[in-house]
Amino acid sequence: MPAPVPNHPFVTRSSRGRLIEGAVFWLMRLATYFVLVCGLCVLGDIFLKGGRTVFQAEFPYVNVPFLTQAPETLYVFEHEGQKMQLGDRDFRAFREAATAKAKAAGQPAPQFRTESYVYSAGGIWPCIVGTVLLVVGSMSIALILGVASAIYLNEYAKDTPGVRAIRLAILNLAGVPSIVFGLFGFGLFVIFLDWNVSLLAGWFTLAFMVLPVVITASEEALKAVPKGFREGSLALGATKWQTIRKNVLPYALPGILTSSILGIARVAGETAPIMFTAAYVVRDKLPWEVEKVSDFFFQGVMALPYHIYVVSSKIPQNEYTARVQYGTAFVFLFIVAVIALSSILLRNHLRRRYQW
Amino acid sequence: MSVPPPAKAPAFAIHRRRTRILGLSLDQCIQAFFGGHALTAVIVLTLITVFLFKEGIDFFGQNRENLRIYRQSGMEYVDVLRELERDHTSLTRYLYDIRLRALQHLTGPGGRSLPEANAALADLDALVERFGDAVVPIRGFVSDYGEVAVGIKTRFIENQDFAEAKRQYLAAGMVAEAEAITVAPIDFKAEVAAITGAFPEFEAGGRDLAREVASTVQQLPALPTPELQHRLERFQQLAREYAASIDGRLEQMRTWQWDRPVPATQAFTAFIFGRQWLTASFWQDWYGIVPLFVGSLMVSAIALSLAVPLGIGAAIYVNQFASRREQQLIKPTIEFISAIPSVVLGFFGIAVLGQALRALSQAEWLAWVPGFPFAERLNALTAGCLLALIAVPTIFTLAEDALNNVPRAFREASYALGASRLQTILRIIVPASLSGIISAVLLGLGRVIGETMVVLLCAGNRIAIPDFTQGLTAFVQPVHTMTGIIAQEMGEVVRGSIHYRALFVVGIVLFFVALLINFLAQKIVRRHRISIG
Repeated sequence: MPAPVPNHPFVTRSSRGRLIEGAVFWLMRLATYFVLVCGLCVLGDIFLKGGRTVFQAEFPYVNVPFLTQAPETLYVFEHEGQKMQLGDRDFRAFREAATAKAKAAGQPAPQFRTESYVYSAGGIWPCIVGTVLLVVGSMSIALILGVASAIYLNEYAKDTPGVRAIRLAILNLAGVPSIVFGLFGFGLFVIFLDWNVSLLAGWFTLAFMVLPVVITASEEALKAVPKGFREGSLALGATKWQTIRKNVLPYALPGILTSSILGIARVAGETAPIMFTAAYVVRDKLPWEVEKVSDFFFQGVMALPYHIYVVSSKIPQNEYTARVQYGTAFVFLFIVAVIALSSILLRNHLRRRYQW
Repeated sequence: MSVPPPAKAPAFAIHRRRTRILGLSLDQCIQAFFGGHALTAVIVLTLITVFLFKEGIDFFGQNRENLRIYRQSGMEYVDVLRELERDHTSLTRYLYDIRLRALQHLTGPGGRSLPEANAALADLDALVERFGDAVVPIRGFVSDYGEVAVGIKTRFIENQDFAEAKRQYLAAGMVAEAEAITVAPIDFKAEVAAITGAFPEFEAGGRDLAREVASTVQQLPALPTPELQHRLERFQQLAREYAASIDGRLEQMRTWQWDRPVPATQAFTAFIFGRQWLTASFWQDWYGIVPLFVGSLMVSAIALSLAVPLGIGAAIYVNQFASRREQQLIKPTIEFISAIPSVVLGFFGIAVLGQALRALSQAEWLAWVPGFPFAERLNALTAGCLLALIAVPTIFTLAEDALNNVPRAFREASYALGASRLQTILRIIVPASLSGIISAVLLGLGRVIGETMVVLLCAGNRIAIPDFTQGLTAFVQPVHTMTGIIAQEMGEVVRGSIHYRALFVVGIVLFFVALLINFLAQKIVRRHRISIG
């Protein structure tokens, strides 16, 4: 006799519906992990191949010249049966030495049949410097403007048409494509204000682009401060500004800063806005090698994202150029990843710490 | 006895005189200060609009001038003939294609040798040759009179340059130098008459062509397969249509007038509906946004068709099924993916994905996919896949928020009525958060359509409207996009030239498309917000 089938309405029966449900569940799980795998593939590829450029087996384990030198042209040639790769400066020195040696031996000067690849030797130091300068400057501007706007919107503003217009503008500004910011910066700063391609133009363009992110983040942080803090302070006779300064901002500041780090990652990562406003393809001088202090602000710089664009589109893909291409992408991604990761971790930490 | 000095009255804060600046108390000043900063967003948005228009608006005037000179120099007239020739060429190409297929069929496995196959196609070759020769006289006209038209245009532009130089000399007070420049005016009527005067020749040539084409395709050679025969019959039909269209074109040339004014709207419509974006050409520059717009749309369509199922699926999974620990793993990772800079993704596309996709497309078992295999490494598909990776985090985050906002009570009520989990999700939770999900998709679209570096690096950058006649194969063709063209050409153009202004107008279009998408997303969220209670 078979075991009696339990016969009550809550029994689990395998049915077609349950099968479909299981299938849908697994489909969605697959979609989720597919996205994660795709993202990690990109990261993994660049970290693996870029790591070969940036790290090395012997002491100091990091490829210091790559991080501290300016880009150079790479010469690939054959000399006395050996395949050689030399940067621009080394190649000239080598050629002179070889010529001198041949002359001493009474032979004709050796001929070098070279293939050259621009930017493929040397390092990316000027790009790192330029990116840091761009990020620091534009984020300072964006933070000042953004935090002040957020304070107004959260602490002072009432629901008037003017304030609604401001909120609408912020929402819409967040949706403007970055290349349009680039055009705008070009039209306003580079041409109309005649700043030329300069740090200053890049700063303002990037700052305006990231402004909505900073405002939204700051407002959220301000909102998280409980109302009681303000009311208590006001009840003790403090003015509005004293309340904000002593009783709101100190508690909101960590939140503002951590959320704004995400803005930093965005600023560091954007290429389109600086293409016509701040970035040079190549520049020999480092930014602080200027004659006047004012020149500092009106000079273009090299920047990592733009350099990646240049090395990946303007020079061919082969074994000699992959070194600099992947190396640059690695360094850039590393910087952005550290920024983004620290923001995510800090925020999770803060969420746990501040609970009113 | 001296009176002791009165003790200093205690200072109460309440008695302190308020500092006033311009009639405002300190607190009001601070408020105004912050309010001023808050206005930045409005000001920036206004400035963007103003400067885009300031640089771009002159384009329409310049484009009208561009079109006017195109007409007055007689290029428009010659273009009718050119088009006649071009259509003929495309027919010839069709014929060559048939011949190639027939040859492949004949020399295929177990087939004949090459000379035999060629011999078998002798009839077809005769047709090809006769058809090709028919257009020779027209080709001669095009090259001869095209040169005349280009000459007129060149002289006109030179004159403009001279006039400009003269004006500058005069403005600088250098009268002698200004006097030295003489601008010989161009008599368009007489010049163009040199071209239009040859109309009887054109007419005779056109008639000959029509007759020749019609008689050539009268007799069709036999081809080995019915499929090829069918293609040849199709060719016959196309060739007859072509021959019949020649009369209309001749009529168009007969009634053509060099001095017919170019209406102001045409400068606008030529941009919006123009099917060519052609710059720095020897003949005539065209600024039509359609190929770029279609390219942008196509890349976005690919990206969204990948990103929407993935993003929304992931959002539903994380929100409804995933355990807490899984959530804590997935959410930050996706957020992290969104931080990958687009230029790095573009580089990845060039270095890895392009090759990988091409290799995948050449796999045997995928041959049924339309468009596979493809030869171009960088095309709309490559760019679309990478853009999908950009759009997924946006869609995921916003859709997850929307799902989160559905009140718990909805779900519980559904379970209480005996609905299964899947039913609850599909019938209750997703519809309740639909507005949020749609706006998430729209914002994802906004993100994708405005993305520059990925499409600039990976979309292939060929300015042409993809050939949709072949169905889905259009999606693996290289395209160019609105964002890409700005990024690519802005660095090279002369400031103030028509090309420069055209790029700004593309920027204006992009700006308003982005605003429209944003506006729709907000409107949908606001209108369909679920009311709880």
